[in-house]
Amino acid sequence: MINVNDLRKSFGDLVVLDGVSTTIKKGEKVVVIGPSGSGKSTFLRCLNLLEQPTGGSIEFEGVDITHAKGRELNAIRMKMGMVFQHFNLFPHLTIRKNITIAPVKNKIMTQAEADKRADELLALVGLSDKAEAYPSQLSGGQKQRIAIARTLAMNPDVILFDEPTSALDPEMVGEVLELMKRLADGGMTMVVVTHEMGFAREVASRVMFMSDGKIQEEGTPQEIFTAPKNPRLRDFLSRVL
Amino acid sequence: MDFFTSVKEWFVDFGETFYNTFIVDNRWTYLVNGLGVTLLITALALIIGILLGFIVAIIRSTNQRTGRLKVANTICRVYLTVFRGTPMVVQLLIIYFVIFGSVNISKIFVAVIAFGLNSAAYVAEIVRSGIMSVDEGQFEAGASLGFGYTRTMVSIVLPQALRNILPALGNEAIVLLKETSVSGYIALEDLTKGGDIIRSKTYEAFMPLIAVALIYLVMVVIMSSLVSRLERKLSNDKRK
Repeated sequence: MINVNDLRKSFGDLVVLDGVSTTIKKGEKVVVIGPSGSGKSTFLRCLNLLEQPTGGSIEFEGVDITHAKGRELNAIRMKMGMVFQHFNLFPHLTIRKNITIAPVKNKIMTQAEADKRADELLALVGLSDKAEAYPSQLSGGQKQRIAIARTLAMNPDVILFDEPTSALDPEMVGEVLELMKRLADGGMTMVVVTHEMGFAREVASRVMFMSDGKIQEEGTPQEIFTAPKNPRLRDFLSRVL
Repeated sequence: MDFFTSVKEWFVDFGETFYNTFIVDNRWTYLVNGLGVTLLITALALIIGILLGFIVAIIRSTNQRTGRLKVANTICRVYLTVFRGTPMVVQLLIIYFVIFGSVNISKIFVAVIAFGLNSAAYVAEIVRSGIMSVDEGQFEAGASLGFGYTRTMVSIVLPQALRNILPALGNEAIVLLKETSVSGYIALEDLTKGGDIIRSKTYEAFMPLIAVALIYLVMVVIMSSLVSRLERKLSNDKRK
């Protein structure tokens, strides 16, 4: 589904991605782990071109999207949802509008269809009673569940999660991870940057360890957590586990 | 002279001055017509100010965030520097006597252009600060949902920016209303000029000038209350 070939990204002299190549297949749940500054968030943000890569290429569903612009780029992003660390809900809109704005403005659904879909999604994320509330009235965990619902409203083929629980109070991490687990079980293709090793172990079909802008090691959770080969990975795991 | 006589005399004097100032020769019409001119100029200049101000602000903040529109941004910066760096009266005089000096043109039109251009320069910086105050994450969220830059700007960023800057915009409208009192420099009979004409006819300054001041004050109070009502309406999501 996503084919990344020798992806490079620098900010000025700072090299953040130093040649990343991987393939993400339909239905896969790829969890990206690594120390901060390893380039994992930048990697994720390059996939939907929130960051323009400085080298290499990205293929999505068979099409080279590396230099996509305008409508073509928008169409790609509609199929590639993203969930942010800081939720980025729209504070001036109700929860219902937050969920319906994308399908309606992108002319994929009428307002009535989108409202119906929003009700289903609110039920899915367990927040049906919040439809007319505003984001500022929700807890962090609730905001993130709404952000996931907002992404789902576009029926994306893949969802990118950029540290979805890092900004949450500890007692709210569980509710978000539980929802992500349900999405994973439902067959959604997911790429997740996270520090939640428990989630990686339980949900990932593949764990990718990044450091210094490169994929140092990847494999099943079993391989990564019980038999790490790369010394940096071993060092990283000894510090986080 | 006892107290009551002097109070009575003051009232008699007041009545006489009032009569001279407003009633004789229908002098009150100077104020009413002047008020009409002041409101007309303010309203039209405000429309120009807001339209042009938003355009300039969007060009400037787009350049600031994305680096695009370099030439347009430079033009905007020159415009802002000139209009914020010179006195309003001088701008008005230049536009009337220099730019439109050789054509016979409505003074109201000239005033609307001058005050509109001046106000737009201030509105532009207010709106730009509003746009820049909206979190970068909002642009990214819009983009990640498949919105282009323009749609993100219109549907997501500007509504939030507008809410943040509403008090400042209301203030700018109030400043503009009062600023139009220099229209007399191009012999336009606005409210201030109307009061001044009465003064020159009656040789009595207190009554017409205080009347003019009171009229401005009442209008400003009305505008302030409209702005705060609008503010409350737009801040719906802030309630907890």
